[in-house]
Amino acid sequence: MATRALVSIVDDDESVRESLPDLIKEFGFAVQVFPSAEEFLASEYVDLTDCLILDVAMPGMPGLELQQVLERQGRDVPIVFITAHGNAASRTRAMSQGAAGYLLKPFSAADLLDALHSALKPK
Amino acid sequence: LFVASFVAHPAKDLSGGDSLDSELGQVVNAFPGLVCTALPDGNADFVNRRWYEYSGIAPEAARGFGWQRTIHPDDLPQLIVRWMSVEAPDEGRELEARLRRFDGQYRRFSFRRAPIANAAGRIVKWCGIFTDVENQRQAEDSLRESRDRLRLIFEGLPALAIVTSSSGDLIHANRYCLDYLGATFEELKDWERGHSYHPDDRPSVLAAWRHSLETGAPYVIEGRRRRADGVYRWFHTRGFPLRDGKGNIDLWYLLATDFDDLKRADEAVSASERKLKLIINTIPATAWSTRPDGYCDFLNERWLAYAGLSSAEAEGWGWGSAIHPDDVKGLVEYWQGCLASGTPVDTEARMRSHDGVYRWFLFRANPLRDESGEIVQWFGTNIDVDDQKRAEQAVLASEQNLRLIVNTIPGFAWSASNDGAAEFINQQYLEFLGLSEEEARGWGWSSRVHPDDLNRLVSIWANARATGQPAEVEARHRRYDGEYRWLLVRTRPLRDAGGAVVKWYGVCADIEDRKRAEDALLARERSLNEIVNVIPTTAWTTRADGYCDFVNQGWLTYSGLSAEQAIGWGWGSILHPDDVGGLVEHWQFCLASGTPGDTEARMRRHDGEYRWFLFRANPLRDETGTIVKWIGTNIDIDDRKRAEEELRRSEAFLAKGQRLSMTGSLSWRVSTDEMVWSDEAYRIFECDPNLEVTPGLMFSRVHPEDVPTIDEMVKRARKSCRDFEYEFRLLMPDEKVKYVRLVAHGTRNHDGGLEYIGAVQDVTQRRLSDVAIGKARSELAHAARVMSLGTLTASIAHELNQPLSGIITNASTCLRMLAAVPPNVDGALETANRTIRDGNRASEVIVRLRALFEKKEVPPELVDMNDATREVIALLSTELQRKQVMLWPEFATDLPPAMGDRVQLQQVILNLLLNAADAMSDIKDRPKNVVIKTKLDGKDRVCVVVKDVGVGIDPLTANRLFDSFYTTKAGGMGIGLSVSRSIIESHRGHLWAESNDGPGATFTLAIPRMTDDEMGARFDDALRNSTEIVAQSLAGRS
Repeated sequence: MATRALVSIVDDDESVRESLPDLIKEFGFAVQVFPSAEEFLASEYVDLTDCLILDVAMPGMPGLELQQVLERQGRDVPIVFITAHGNAASRTRAMSQGAAGYLLKPFSAADLLDALHSALKPK
Repeated sequence: LFVASFVAHPAKDLSGGDSLDSELGQVVNAFPGLVCTALPDGNADFVNRRWYEYSGIAPEAARGFGWQRTIHPDDLPQLIVRWMSVEAPDEGRELEARLRRFDGQYRRFSFRRAPIANAAGRIVKWCGIFTDVENQRQAEDSLRESRDRLRLIFEGLPALAIVTSSSGDLIHANRYCLDYLGATFEELKDWERGHSYHPDDRPSVLAAWRHSLETGAPYVIEGRRRRADGVYRWFHTRGFPLRDGKGNIDLWYLLATDFDDLKRADEAVSASERKLKLIINTIPATAWSTRPDGYCDFLNERWLAYAGLSSAEAEGWGWGSAIHPDDVKGLVEYWQGCLASGTPVDTEARMRSHDGVYRWFLFRANPLRDESGEIVQWFGTNIDVDDQKRAEQAVLASEQNLRLIVNTIPGFAWSASNDGAAEFINQQYLEFLGLSEEEARGWGWSSRVHPDDLNRLVSIWANARATGQPAEVEARHRRYDGEYRWLLVRTRPLRDAGGAVVKWYGVCADIEDRKRAEDALLARERSLNEIVNVIPTTAWTTRADGYCDFVNQGWLTYSGLSAEQAIGWGWGSILHPDDVGGLVEHWQFCLASGTPGDTEARMRRHDGEYRWFLFRANPLRDETGTIVKWIGTNIDIDDRKRAEEELRRSEAFLAKGQRLSMTGSLSWRVSTDEMVWSDEAYRIFECDPNLEVTPGLMFSRVHPEDVPTIDEMVKRARKSCRDFEYEFRLLMPDEKVKYVRLVAHGTRNHDGGLEYIGAVQDVTQRRLSDVAIGKARSELAHAARVMSLGTLTASIAHELNQPLSGIITNASTCLRMLAAVPPNVDGALETANRTIRDGNRASEVIVRLRALFEKKEVPPELVDMNDATREVIALLSTELQRKQVMLWPEFATDLPPAMGDRVQLQQVILNLLLNAADAMSDIKDRPKNVVIKTKLDGKDRVCVVVKDVGVGIDPLTANRLFDSFYTTKAGGMGIGLSVSRSIIESHRGHLWAESNDGPGATFTLAIPRMTDDEMGARFDDALRNSTEIVAQSLAGRS
C-alpha cells in the first residue's frame, strides 16, 4: 500500500464520528470526519476522498441530496450510506443513484469492510 | 138625288102650268116628303099636297113666302141663307130644320134643294124637299144619350175599368184606373202585363188571365195592386168577354174593385171570431147556442168534453141524451115554453158526465133579437151546481137535527137579541143554572153570575153589541148546587145580508178545572220564565212546525233584537249567511223526523260580531207522542270552536312537521299499557293506523338483536318515572331495517299514574350515513394507530440504534485493537470507555420512554357504574351494531356508587366490550351475544362483568393476558388489558378473566364500593362547602 485510500465520514451523530474513524483506520484507510454535508463540501478533502461514508438523515443537507450534488459536480465518489432509519424506499433511491453500499445501524465491522472494499474496487 | 132629279123634272114642266093634274102631278103629290119650288129669293110658287097636309097651310097661303111660316123661327135664317145661296148644290150637305106640323108640334126635317135650270142652263128656280127625320133623329139622340151616360159611368166608376182586345191588348182604361195606378194610358199598356200587381199575387193573376184569354172563360181573381203612392190594396177583378154575332170574342171587359178595407175587415172579423170561439171553448163553463126554433147549432168544447159527446152527436136535439131521464121531460117542456114565449131560460137539471156520473146543472139561456125584435138565436150556458145542490140538501137535513143537537150537546148554548136579552138557552145550560127556560130568558140568567164578575161581564157584553165584534169573557156562575164555577162565555153576531147584526149566538164552557190548573201552571210558569230568562244562556221554543214562539232574555240580549223581531222566523236574520243553508236543512230534518238535533252555526251578536253556537233542540211530546213544541238552546261555543280551529291548525302543523322530520310522537300510560301513536309514528312503525297500539305491537317491530336492550329499557321505565333516550332498530315485515331514536319524558298524570310522552324519529338515513362514516373513521383510526406506532417504533429504534451502533463499532474497534500485535491497549481502553458511555446513552433512552407511560394520579369522584356503563353502551351501540353484536344488559338495581375516575373506568369498560366484540369477530355459527352485567359482590365491591361467546382464553397463555404488549390479535398492540389492569389497580380494584363453561370468556372488574363513612364524609364536605358559600356570600353582602 503506497498511499492509503482516504475515507471521509459525514454524520451528525457524535458517537459515530468518535467510534467509526478508529475502526476505519484499523482497516488501514485514511479517515476524515465531517459533522455535516456542508462542511464536507467546503473542505479540501472533497476531491481527495476515495470513498464517502454518508449518513442518510442529517439536519441541513441530507445524505441523498449530497450524493446528487457530487454527481452534478462530476465527482465520481463511491458512497456507502449508513442509517438508523432504514427503509426500502430510501435504500432503493440511494442504490439507483449509484450508491456503493447501504448499511443499517448498528452494522457489523465485517459488513462495513465488505462495503468499503466493494466501493473502492477498481472499475 | 134620285128624288131631286125626279122632282126636278116635273118642276120643269110645272114651271109652265099651275095645276098638276097630270100623272106627274099625282106622283109629286103622293111623294112622302114636303116639296116646294121657289125663286132664289125664296118666293115659292109651288108646295105639294103633303106640305099642305103636314103644315095645314093652304097651298095658296104657302106660295110666295108663306111657306116660311112652317119653318121653326130658329132654323129659318140658315135655311134662307142656304136657299138663297148661289153655290151649286153640294151633295151631303144636308140641312136640318124644324117644321111646324098642323098641330103645332115641330118635327125635324132634312132639307135638300135642287136647281131648276131653263133651256139656256141658267138656274131659274130651286126645288126644295123636306124629309121627315124626326123619328130617326130621336132614335139617334136616345142612342147618344145612352152612350154618353155609359161613358160617364165607365169613367166615373170607382173601380178600375179596362177594355182589352181579344188578345188582351189594352184598348181603354178609365180615369179612375189611370189615377189609381198613377200611369198614363201608354204606360198602362205595358203595366197591364202584371207589373201593377203585388209580386206575391202576380204569378197567379197572370196565369188566370192567360187561361181566360185562351179559353174565353170569365176571369175572376183577387190580388193586390199597387196604388200610385206605392200602397198595395186588394182588388177583386172580374173580366167578361164580349162576343160578336158569330160567337167570337171581340173584346174583354175587366172591372177591378177595391175591396181592401173589406178584406181587412174580413180578416179582422175572422180573427175576432176565432178568438171568440177560442174563448168560448176555453172558458171553464159550458156554452151553447140554438136557432130560434131550439135546434142546437153550437156546443162548446167544455160541454162536449163533459158529456163525452161529439158535436155531431150533440147538435140538433142530440144533447138531450145527456140529460137525466127523470129531468129530460120537464126540461124539454120548459124549453119549449121559453122558445114559444121568448122568456130567458133558468132551470136546473142533471146532466150525465162522460164517465156516467150525473151532476146538477143550472141551465141558463137568453134570446138574441134583431132590430125588429125577432129572435135570431138563443145563447145558453150550463153551470155545475151539484156541490151547492148537495150542500143545500145537506143543510136542509142538518137543520132538522140542529135543534136536537143544540139541546143535547154537552155544552151551554144560547142566543140573544141585539138588545142583550136571551132568547134561547139550551137544556144543558138551564140544567147547570138550575133555572127554567122562562126564568133564564131575558136577563134572568144574570142572577146566577158571581156579583164580582157581573159588572165586567155586562160591560163586555154591551161593548160587543155596540161594536158588533165577537167577544169572550170569563165569569163565575153559580151552579144549581150553589157552587160557583168559572165559565168561559163566547159570543158571535149573526148578520143579515146587509151586514146588520140580527142576533147573537153564544156558548159557555165550564173552565173551572182548567182555570185552577192554569193558575197553578201560571205560577209555575212565572217562576220558570224567570229562570229561563235569567239563565246565562240562550233558550227558545218553537211550535211543532218550527215557528218560533219564544226566545229568552239571554237570546234577546245577545242578538240585540226585540222579541217581536225574533219571533216566527225573524231569528234567522242573525244567522251567518254561510250557515243558513246548513242550519235550515238540519232543522227541517229534525222537524220532519222528530229527532233531537245538534248543529253548529254562527249568530251575529248585537255588536255585529259573529260567534259560533251549538244549536240543540229537543221535541216536547204530549201523551200521545205527538210533538207539541220544540225546546232549544244555543250554546256559545265560539271560544271552543276557535280553540278547535287553532288545535286543528296546530295539529296540521304538527303532522306536517312530524312528516317532514320523520318524527312520530307517542304516549304510554304504564299502568294500563295504553299507547297512543301519532300518524307519523304509525308510518314509521309501518302499522295499520286502525290497530290499537300496545307495547307488544311496538316490540313486534323491534329488531330481534335490540329486543333485550328495549326490554331492559321498558322494565326500567315501568319502575320509575324518568327520561330516557335510545336508539334501536326496527325490522319491518319486508326485512327492511330502520334505525329509530326514541326520546321519552316520564310524567305523572293527574291521577298519579306514570305516563310517558315521547318522540320516535326515523334516523335510518342518518344512521346509515353514520355507520358509513363510523366505519371510515374506525379504519382511519386504525391506520393512524398503525402509523403512530410505526413512528413511535422508528423513533425508539433511532434513539436506541445510535448508541447501539456506537457500542458495536467501539467494541469492534476495541477487539481489533486488542487483537493487533502489539495490542493497542490505550486505544482499546478508550473504545471500551466509549462503549460504556454509549450503553448508558441507550439506557437513558429507555428511561425516557418509561416516563412517557408514567401514570397520573386519579382525581376521585362518585361514579354510578350503571350510568357509566350505559354511557359506554350508548357510545358503542353503533360499533356493536356494525359488528352484529347483540348486547344483553343486566343492571343491578340499588347499585351503590364507587369512587374513582369516571373516564378511566369507562375506558376499561369500553376496552372490555371491544375485546369481547373482537373475540367474536370470526364467530359464524352462533349469535354474537354479549352480556354486560353490574352487581355488588360479596366483598362490597362494585363489579362490571362482560361475558362473550368468542374464542375464549387459551389456558396456556391465560397468565400472560394482562402483560404489556401481549396480544392474540393480529392488529393488537397488547397494551389494552395491561393498561386496563393498571387503571383498575390504581382504583384499589381487580381485573381478571375466566373461561366460560361454554364458549367465550368472562372479564370482571371489581372496585370497592363507597362506604357509608366516605359517603358521610363527602356529605359533610358538601355541607361544609355550601355553608361556606353561604357564609361567604353573607360576608360579601355585609
